[in-house]
Parts: sequence; structure tokens; C-alpha cells
Amino acid sequence: MSLLRRAKTWEISESEDSDAETKPGLGSDNSIQTASTEKQEQGSHNSAANRGGSAALAPPAASGSGTPSPARKRRSKEEIEEDRRKVKERKEAREKQRAARAQEQEERRQEQQRRREAAKTLKSLRPENCLKCITVCIHPVLLQQDGSDVLLDTLVSLDWKFSIKSEQLVGSIAWTQDLPQGEGGMVSVVEEEEQVLLVLSLADFMDVVISVNRIIHSQAVETGVGSFWSPILEFLNRDGKKVVTLLVTDSEPDYRSNAHSVPLQYKLGMDHLDIEEVLVYLQLYKNISVVFLDSWQEVTDHVCAVTKALSKRPFKLLTEGAELPFCVDGSWASGVRVEKDGSGLIQVWSRQIQQLNRVSPAVASAVTTSYPSPQLLLQAYNSLGSEEDRKGLLAGLSAKSGGTERRVGPEISARVYRCLTAHNPQLVLD
Amino acid sequence: MPATEPVRLGRKRALPSCPNPLFLKWLTELRDEAKEKGLKIQYTYQKAINSLNKYPLPLKNAKEAKILQNFGDGICKILDEKLQRYYRENGADASIHALPKGAPPPGRSDNNIILAPSKKKNAAVDQGKDGGGDGGGDGGRKKKREYVPQKRSGGYAVLLTLYKETQVPGSKGYMFKMELQAEAQHLCDKSFTVPDLGSKYTAWSSVSTLIQKNLVIKTHNPARYSLTEGGLTLAERLASAEQTNTDGDREAVRSELEATEEDDPVVDLTGSDEDEEEKEENRIHPAERQPTVTEVSCDVDDVRSSGKPQDSQTTMTTSRKPNAECLLPGTYEIMLCVDFIETTGGSHHRKQELVKELQRNGVNFDIRKLNVGDFLWVAREKVAPVAGQLRAPVGRELVLDYIVERKRMDDLCGSIIDGRFREQKFRLKRCGLHKPIYLVEECGSAASHLSLPETTLQQAIVNTQVVDGFFVKRVQDVRESAAYLTIMTRFLTKLYQNRTLICRSRELEGDGGSDEEERGLPSCSLMSFAEFNHGAVKNKCQTVREVFARQLMQISGLSGDKAAAILEHYSTPHSLLTAYEQCASEAEKEKLLSSIRYGKLKRNLGPALSRTVYQLYCTQGALT
Repeated sequence: MSLLRRAKTWEISESEDSDAETKPGLGSDNSIQTASTEKQEQGSHNSAANRGGSAALAPPAASGSGTPSPARKRRSKEEIEEDRRKVKERKEAREKQRAARAQEQEERRQEQQRRREAAKTLKSLRPENCLKCITVCIHPVLLQQDGSDVLLDTLVSLDWKFSIKSEQLVGSIAWTQDLPQGEGGMVSVVEEEEQVLLVLSLADFMDVVISVNRIIHSQAVETGVGSFWSPILEFLNRDGKKVVTLLVTDSEPDYRSNAHSVPLQYKLGMDHLDIEEVLVYLQLYKNISVVFLDSWQEVTDHVCAVTKALSKRPFKLLTEGAELPFCVDGSWASGVRVEKDGSGLIQVWSRQIQQLNRVSPAVASAVTTSYPSPQLLLQAYNSLGSEEDRKGLLAGLSAKSGGTERRVGPEISARVYRCLTAHNPQLVLD
Repeated sequence: MPATEPVRLGRKRALPSCPNPLFLKWLTELRDEAKEKGLKIQYTYQKAINSLNKYPLPLKNAKEAKILQNFGDGICKILDEKLQRYYRENGADASIHALPKGAPPPGRSDNNIILAPSKKKNAAVDQGKDGGGDGGGDGGRKKKREYVPQKRSGGYAVLLTLYKETQVPGSKGYMFKMELQAEAQHLCDKSFTVPDLGSKYTAWSSVSTLIQKNLVIKTHNPARYSLTEGGLTLAERLASAEQTNTDGDREAVRSELEATEEDDPVVDLTGSDEDEEEKEENRIHPAERQPTVTEVSCDVDDVRSSGKPQDSQTTMTTSRKPNAECLLPGTYEIMLCVDFIETTGGSHHRKQELVKELQRNGVNFDIRKLNVGDFLWVAREKVAPVAGQLRAPVGRELVLDYIVERKRMDDLCGSIIDGRFREQKFRLKRCGLHKPIYLVEECGSAASHLSLPETTLQQAIVNTQVVDGFFVKRVQDVRESAAYLTIMTRFLTKLYQNRTLICRSRELEGDGGSDEEERGLPSCSLMSFAEFNHGAVKNKCQTVREVFARQLMQISGLSGDKAAAILEHYSTPHSLLTAYEQCASEAEKEKLLSSIRYGKLKRNLGPALSRTVYQLYCTQGALT
């Protein structure tokens, strides 16, 4: 844990550095810009003042006409002003250019920074990194149970963070996640996950069953009766978003030989239907699921599975919100390997045709045999005069699959045509 | 298929191409009557119907019909009797080639007036040719005629409704399916949602004709319908005709609409060939309403041809306003729906077991095709059968928020391996029902000799709960599954005992926040089953964009996010090809896509992939 923390502080310092790096950059750039605009304003001001000045000076100069070559002098003055103005303009242009370049550079730097940060967040969302932020929280009561050592041993051997917390629901296992927050992830917020496991012995579960059964059959108001049911109820009332799973185990392992052949829930000595009713009630009204497990080893496996699932979730949620309206997984999406020289593309072309609904491999290969590239098909379309002819171009091509020979239908022919030539991406083909 | 044939021909009788609609109608009634009683004479009537359908000329009386094959003395006599009665009721000079014009029952449109004159019939046949010919066939033979949908047909109603939508200021310019159906229903005699007895076509079927005729365009997913330019022009004319005309002079409307058409006396019998059956279906359904003229047929018992079921459906659907639909407590029952795959599936007699268990438990369930999931529950409106009708009116059905996917451990293993596992979850998450349930049958020790290790399977199950947010229900075997479904059905019945359910359209209102979904409080704003199941069709209408994305992904290494990035720039094959054409050099084409950024990391697509796509789309010769 200390190692981790150290790693984090190092990360933080790095991000601070990078912040510091960008800030002066930003500041200096701004100052340059403001300076240049100031100069610009000044310049225009100056020139206006000069012009005004020259106009004011002109009459006395004109009155003193006897002075030698006043015109030359005046001209040179104007020239000088002109030159000065030109120089100023050039300077301004140069400065503007420089500012633009700086801005461009800055933009590029910012873009890079953005990408770097995006990469960093993405990296932090990877399951293996998420796992480092997750803490398994175990209620101390569980540690007193026989066989529970295996849970802690496993967590230690996996090098996962865990803590013993007495303030949570008695007998429960929960998770928290450290979420890096704010700029550069300097502050991390500890967030509780919604998943909560409650480890119950058979006897404890019986207590729950009896309490719930009473609610079901008496149609009474939900009251917290029963030493296990009422805390659950209170817990859920406090936070309705929690997803509770009851792990029911045989706390006193049966060492007789046939112990494992009888499913746990049958050992309850209760009508199976009564239990099923309770389970359905828990599902519908409380979103509680119940898992019957044989041993602490299985509880441990379950805890590990939930932990892993939690660590995978952020990344999956991120990638799931894909822009495409279909599931991008599956055998169809694997693609055909294409070599550098383009070999393999004919299979790609054939499978492309198959992506249209209800086009079999046989039909697709009939199309691609006759028109072995998109360009050849397009050329054929272009050679036809009417829209109708183009739509029907592929109809009637013979498609062999196995022993039977069929023909490409006019409907598929029209769909291939429209797919390849339509301008409206949202046009529905079927 | 003797069972379906009469039905199919029953629709044929309504073809506008038959110039003897009264005889055809009577024969059909006779046949249906005989069929209901199980009499063999139905086949005789059927043969006569077939003959009559082929005969292109109007018959003056029943005796004249004797020249036709399969018309014996008996049939002619019956027809003559009916004809005499008809004359008594409608006057001696009543036309027998058109159904009575004088007293159309209120609220019903007698399309036959429109259909009967031979000129119109020919026009209709011609339309048949246009629709079925796929362009090439009849181009040279006939001058193409403009397609005009029959008044009060599905196509007519859809065109008019879309037109009205365009006239509303600030309209979105398109309509969703449910919305369009609801709005168009009152303009159409046939139901948009419930097919006629024995038919699988509804008035909605004509939309495909409109699309084919390039009058309506269907885009996006969920589908949006809007008028093309041509459709707008036609709809405008329909609308102005609708305004200026009252019931009395539909003929004028029709002839105005057909003003451009020339008179063609040749009756083209091939126009009604079997292979064009389907296309005709899409077009001619208004004519199917022919038998609704009850003044002629007084056979109340003859449900099949009296048209009453349609009527009740129509009035029922028209009386419903979208969004205002609700089911009051006590007017509906909760029913379990079982996907038919769960009951068939040859080798697994296990599946039969489930249904048997449910039956034994006395569960109210129905087997139907579910496009997603294996089980779900609907709140079905209780409807009392109406006297004089064999078929009870169709009750409304709303889907509860719970949907169950059942998996045995070996199924789970198989589906993880072939990718169905993710795909199914993906579809379950998007089906619009908020409480997906994963029902895992663990099959005891069977899991130990599967091709994936037990821990992998357990992890997958836990992921389903934690990552996907499904409720995971673990059971031992089929019997426990059945018990679970039984108890769920009972509890849901109880849960929905005193609740008013409101029909919510997902297309119109989106998925909506599940605001009322607190623990124990069920959602009462529900989708109709029809909308749900339609929306969940696996390979439903693909858009060009979607196909293009899938096509790009056929190149190895071109993942979903890369395809999505390319689509950002070039959303159709056409736009990509155009971009290639505009490149100055081959080198430029090769690099066209290389600097497109993809994914969360905004990486470059890279030159290699860009080159491969270039090779695919720009190679002039054959690919290898």
C-alpha cells in the first residue's frame, strides 16, 4: 500500500510539473499577444498624432516661404514618416506572424497535452490499473468465522487492497474505489461501489426466509422483523442504489461423505416453494439475489470474481458507448487478413456483400465472381442507361451452394446497387 | 396447402381485375360458409371462383355464367336467386358490375364503385405490371402509368398523413412507424396493425410499394418515413381531391387523378399472375373490403366474408389515440410469453419439459416468437368476445419491464466461444425493457467437463451482474426454471394488481428515464408488445451507413472504432469513392485515410490500413 501511495505522489508531482510547464507558456503567449496589440494601437495612435501634427505645422511652414527648400525638407519629413510607418507595419506584420506561429505551436502543444491526458485516463481505466484503486472492505464479524482465513489469504496473495471495516452492514463485503479527481488527479475521492455481498449461514438465511415469508403472506407492512432481515432493510432504505447479493453458506461444514451431493438450499428443511417465493420477493422488491455456496473457498472465488468485474467495468462502459448501432463483437467482425500486395481483398469484397441482410455466402460469391472488384461492379453500373437496369444488374446471376443452384434475386440486386451508390447514409435498405 | 389456398384466393376475389364482383363475392361467401361447415362443396365453389377470376368480361346474368368452366346448373341457380334478391333490394336497373352505389353504409367506403368500371380495372392491372415488372419486362409494351393508391387504402392514408405532417409548421419532416400508423388509421379502412383473417398483410404492407415507387423514403433506425418529391406532388393532389370531394363523387376524384391515363381496353390477365401475388397484396387491400357492404350480404354468421372483424378492429384502432392509451386496473391480466424456440428445438426434449411444467403449474402463458430474450411478461387487455363473431377482438398488450434470457451452463459456454453471449447481452440492453434477467441453469457437475474452465464461466456470470447490470438468477435445472417463472408470473400479477398502465412509444418518446422505478414500484409506462418485438428484430432494416461500417470491418485490423472514424468522414461507399475520384494522384488516394483519427486516443488510422482500403476500392481490375 505504501508503495502504491508513493507511486501516486510521484505521479502527482509529475502532473504538477507538466501543469507548471504549460502555465508559463500560456501566460507568456498571452503577454506577447497583448503586447503586440498594444503596440498596434500605439502605432495607429502615433501616426494619427503625426498626421495631425504635420497639418498643424504646415501653415507656419507655408507662411515662412522664404526659407530654402522647405518643400524638400517637408518631403523628407513625409518620407521619413512614411518609412517609419512602413517599418512599423512590417514590424507589426512580423509580430503578428510570430504571434500566430506561437499560437499555432501552443495549440499543437495543447492538443498533444489533451491526447496525453486522454491516454492517461484511458490507461487508468484499464482493468489492471483499476484493480489498484479498488479496496475490498470486509466486516470484522466475518473474520471470526471458521474457514474465512482463505479469503484474506487469497487477497494477500493476489496483492489486492483490503480493509476491515466495522461500520458497514454486519457480515458484509463491499468495495470502494479511489477515484482520481480534479486536475492531474491530485485529490482522490473514495467512492463506494453499489455491489454488496452479505455472507449468511444457513441458519441466518432461514431467519431471513421466515421474516420475508411473513411479509408475503400476511401482506403486512414491511417491518424489520428478524435479526438479519431488519438490518438489510435499513441498509437498503438508506441507499436504494445498492445491489445486495446474499451468499448463503454452510457455516458448519458437513464432513459426512454425501455433503456435496445435496444442493444447499434443499438442506433447509423447508418447502422449496416457500424459499422460491422468498427469492422472487427479494428479486422483485429489493433487487437482492441469492447465491448458495458450499464453502468459504467458494465465497472467496465469488469475491474475487466481483472484484475483477468491478475492475473491468469502467473500461467496458467506455468502449461500449460505441457510435455504431450494432454489437461490434462476434465472428463476423474479425475481418480477413490482407497482405501488403492486396491478396485477400477478394475475400473481403465477398464478405462485404454478405454484410447486407439475408445475403448468403453463395450469393455473395456469385456477385464477386462476376464482378471481382468494387470498381468492376461500378463500371458495369455506369455502362447501364437506366436506374431500373442498374438495380437489376445482379438479378439472375447463378449462385451455387452445395448441390443446389439458385439465382440472385432482384431484391438483393437492388440492395447491393443502392448500398454502393446511395448518397443518403441513413437510407434504409430493406 | 388446402388450408391457406381459399384464403389466398379470397383475397384474389377482390382483385380489381374481376369484372363480376357481385358473383365473385357471393361465390366466396358460399365457399367460406361451406368451409366453415366442413362441406366438400367448398372445393366446387373454389373452382368456380378460379374460373370466374380468369374471365375478363362482365356477365349480364347468372345463366351467362354457365359458359364458364366449373359453373354448373346448381351454382347458376344459386347465383340467379341471389341476383333476383339483389335487384329487389337495389332496384331492377342496379348495376351488377359494381356494388351498390346508392346507399353506402356510413363510415365505410365502398371502393368497388371506384374499382368496377372497366377502365379503372385496367388501370389497376397496369399498376400491377408496373410494380411487378422490375423495370425491364414491360417497358416496351406499355406506356407506364402513374401509380395512384386507392382511396382509403394503406398507401393513400400514409401519403396523406405524411403530407399533413409536412404542412404542420415546425414539423420534424418525417414520422416514425407507430406515429404514422396511429395518425393514418382514420384515413384507411383496413387496420395498419392487425392483418385480416388468414392474411399476413396489413394496410402497412403498402408502404413497401410506396417506397418501391419512390414516393416515400425510409431512413434511419428506428425507421423514419418521409415523402420524396414525387410523393409530395402526388400527396398534394390526393389532399386537394380529398378536400374538394365529399362521399358522393369519388368517381370524379378518381377520374381526376387518372386524367393522365389513356384508355386501354385490353385486359391483361397476366397482371394477376401468381408470382406477383405479393406485390398485389401490397396494393389492393382496399378492395378486400369489398364484402363489407352488408346490405348485400345478410349472412351475419359468415364471419369470414362479412368483414366485421376488420370493422371492429378498425374502429378500435381509430378510437385509440397515441399516448392516451392506458389500461385500467382489472382490465388486463399478466401473461408469461415464451419464445417458441424454447418449446421446439428438436433434440432437446428438455425444452418440452419446461412447457409441460408451466402447464402443470397452471401458468397463464403464451408461446410466440420473441425477437429478443426467451421469456417476458405482457399485460394483456381482457376482451369479451362479441356476439356474432367467432374471433374475439384483439386485446392490447403492453410489455412489462422484465425480460429473461435462459442459459444452461453448456449453452453459456458455447455462446461465450462463438460471441453470441456478448451479442445477446448487447441486444437485451437495448431492447427497451429495463430489467433484464439472466437465468442460469447450472446443471450441477456438468459444468466441469465443458470446454471453458469453471472459473471463466463463473466470471462471465458475475460480469453479467456487475458490469452489465442484469439480475442473475441461478437455478439447478429446468424444473426450477419453470418454478421460478411460475412464481414470477404470480408475483408480477400481484405487483400489477391495482395499477393503471400507460402505453409509451419508444420511437416517439425515447427510452425515458425510469424515474418511478424505485424498489418495489414497478414501471407503469410500458411499450406495446408490437412495438417492442418489432424494435427487437435481429436483422432489421439496415441503413447504408451501418452496412458500410460492417463492410469496412471485414478488413482485418479495421476495428469498430476505426470504422466509426472513417464513417465520420465518409458515411457511404459513394462518398468515399467520390473522395478517391477527387484525389490528384494515386499516392494521394493511398494516403486518403491515413490521418483520420480514431478511438478515444485519437490515433492515426495509419498508412497501411489506408492503403488496403484504397486497394479495395480503387483497384480497376479484379482483386486477388
